[in-house]
Amino acid sequence: MTNKKITVRIQRFNPDTDQKPYLQDFEVELAQGMTILDALHLIKEDLDGSVTFRRSCRHAICGSCAMNVNGQNMLVCETPLREKIDKNGQITIRPLPYLPIIKDLVVDRSSFWAQYQRVKPWLIPPDNVPEKEFRMSAEEVAALNDAEHCIMCGACYSACQVIALNKQYIGPHALLKAFLRVLDPRDADPRARLDDLDKGDGVYRCHTIFNCIDACPKGLNPTKAIETLRKLAMKRQAFEAARKERQKTLDKPVN
Amino acid sequence: MRIFLLQRYTAVALLVFLTIHMVVVHYPPGEIHFSNIADRLENPLWKAIDIAFLFAVLIHALTGAYMVLTDVERFDRFKRALAGIAVIAGVLLFIYGTQTILAF
Amino acid sequence: MYKSTGFISFVLRRFTGVALVLYLFMHIWVIGGANSGAETFNDRMEFLGSPLFRIAEIGLLAAVIYHAFDGIRLLIVHYFDVTEYRKSLFYAAFVVSVILTIAGGLPILLHALEG
Repeated sequence: MTNKKITVRIQRFNPDTDQKPYLQDFEVELAQGMTILDALHLIKEDLDGSVTFRRSCRHAICGSCAMNVNGQNMLVCETPLREKIDKNGQITIRPLPYLPIIKDLVVDRSSFWAQYQRVKPWLIPPDNVPEKEFRMSAEEVAALNDAEHCIMCGACYSACQVIALNKQYIGPHALLKAFLRVLDPRDADPRARLDDLDKGDGVYRCHTIFNCIDACPKGLNPTKAIETLRKLAMKRQAFEAARKERQKTLDKPVN
Repeated sequence: MRIFLLQRYTAVALLVFLTIHMVVVHYPPGEIHFSNIADRLENPLWKAIDIAFLFAVLIHALTGAYMVLTDVERFDRFKRALAGIAVIAGVLLFIYGTQTILAF
Repeated sequence: MYKSTGFISFVLRRFTGVALVLYLFMHIWVIGGANSGAETFNDRMEFLGSPLFRIAEIGLLAAVIYHAFDGIRLLIVHYFDVTEYRKSLFYAAFVVSVILTIAGGLPILLHALEG
């Protein structure tokens, strides 16, 4: 029994020779348990060694292989090829949209990282660091809404139409990180963070398009995080006072 | 951010004002003439409602237009100039519109 | 182009919003005819009384209604935790807008056809 043949259409672009991107078709035999990344590897090894893409861990944790498959952003390493074949037996792989293409499926993510740096993604520790450990309550952890699961793949960022219009916007990935730090009871300066997010390029530039939720391979919810940050930004004075109060008992167990 | 809040608050106000406007002015069949508007605006309360309506709709429209333009990176650089134009246009239109309401 | 219901709602919101801003300026000018007396006012109103403008009014009604219900949808998303129902909310806002536009637009259309 021979395996079914499918057509993988890959968007190619070589900045040295091509005027604009074009689609190239490759025939691939569909094997049991094959992911889209497996198909890309197969094409690169057997059919055309010049096909360029980023990948690393193959376990959906490094965030390198986010691509646009049939119009949706996803991690190709965790997506079964079989699921994404359309009724013509085809699958179309393009680079992440709205970002400058470096070559083929590789995009320039410098604006993505610049915005990430802008929100100071690290934790600012309080002055009274406890001798043993910080104690957070179960509710406080639950309120973070799994935001720490973000792997910085850029799927949400490049699905956002506001980013398409304006790269000065902080972006869903960085706002989700800011949400994680603002809501973290250990963070000492939520006020300064909220002040920065309250500017024109911050939380108010989100127009609630929801593409970030659809795109996230980890099932996170940047839109909800942004709405939460909007509410907190309006009452940031009270929020700062509550945080100061909370940090006095950071080393005590919470019931 | 003040612009966003202005837009949210006026949006809620407009939901009320527009419902009133639609039901009272445009729902009754027949042509709209100077005289039937003048009849309604005899009442100073209607004048006040219409002036508040004008105020809310101008803020909502101009902040909205400002946001649509500054969302585009190319225009984002001129946001001060755009804000200035929006404020001047808003003041002029409010004066003109208020004169109209009081003229009836 | 990343297509989704959210993108459609965003484009419609922006499109109707800009259209309504332009309409508002015209509206203020037309009603502003009253500044120079009832004559000018009635002249400018008559200019808008032609069947062509009557039918354009249905488009205006659709824009106002959609923009309003899209706004209500956004308020719901802001004040309640309903992001998982985002698609249903968009369809609901759209369907309600279409129904109300038909309900309000039909009389306008019939009136315009009668002349």
